[in-house]
Amino acid sequence: MRQRPVVHSTLGTDSRDSTSTMTEDEALMLAIQSGDSRAYESAVRKHIKAISHYAFRMLGNSKDVEDITQETLLRLWTHADSWQPGKAGVSTWLHRIAHNLCIDYLRKDRSGITGELTEDIETDDDPSLAPGKEAELQSLQKALDALPERQRSALILSHYQGFSNKEIAQMMDISVDALESILARARRGLKARLIRNAPTESV
Amino acid sequence: MMNFERFEQIVETYGCAPARWPEHERNKAEQLLTTSAEARSLLDEHRALESLLNDYQVPAMPQMERRILGTLREATRASLLDRILDWMLPRSGALISWAWRPALVATLPLVCGIYLANYYSFGIDGAQNSWQEELYLISMNDYAEISE
Repeated sequence: MRQRPVVHSTLGTDSRDSTSTMTEDEALMLAIQSGDSRAYESAVRKHIKAISHYAFRMLGNSKDVEDITQETLLRLWTHADSWQPGKAGVSTWLHRIAHNLCIDYLRKDRSGITGELTEDIETDDDPSLAPGKEAELQSLQKALDALPERQRSALILSHYQGFSNKEIAQMMDISVDALESILARARRGLKARLIRNAPTESV
Repeated sequence: MMNFERFEQIVETYGCAPARWPEHERNKAEQLLTTSAEARSLLDEHRALESLLNDYQVPAMPQMERRILGTLREATRASLLDRILDWMLPRSGALISWAWRPALVATLPLVCGIYLANYYSFGIDGAQNSWQEELYLISMNDYAEISE
């Protein structure tokens, strides 16, 4: 077995790829590919927040967020060989998996991943409890949920996960031009829905 | 010169931060902002939208993270047989997994049995050996009679 590279995991940080973390990610992936379970745990700890946040925003507060997150991170172990250095960052690769799982779930297999659709996951707090903004945030959540899946995913990956348009296009397997068209429709649609839902609000 | 329609397209595609706008159009877009009240109003609307998006934060989910870490830790410790089965079976589609896995396990003894039976004779000789032995016994019998 290959000697495990010395890596310093950053527990709880969002797993956005950057120049400083690419080497660490690559070292972890090489170790995972050689069957190193410690490197795998480090990688899971590093990326779990970003993946679960993405799934939460795509699916809402349901048990399926846990299933999608778990399945995505399990594939980091079972499909590690399919990751190729230089082709895509680890975070980009994982978000691509999560994106495909979420789209599959939303389109055709709402009951296939788990039967516990109505069971909420336990959270420390509620995302809609920002003081004085409950109504606005509920409208936003509804407007996001009403967006077509690909538009929602593109907007989440761009705004919250911080990926570039090129990276998102790569994840969604479309051209950058097509992605930019999707993003423009998403922002336009979100704004229109918020104005329609709450005509007295500023947006 | 940039018009309002192109400015709107840029903001809808790249967001409100000029740093994310296409470099070759950034200056023209910023110039339009100084001259067009309509462009400034549009940008303000999108800034309000982005501000609202920023307020929508995901809550901490420590219990879920602990559960996932525990499950994944077990998955990496799975036996070789489990890994082979996990590889062979689709993870999505619980019904397929539940039905397929026992069926596959049930066929394994049959496959092993066929292989072992093919490899070892278990004392059962083929027809050719029986004929050879019979001829040998007849010749021995003839030899014994001649000797007497």
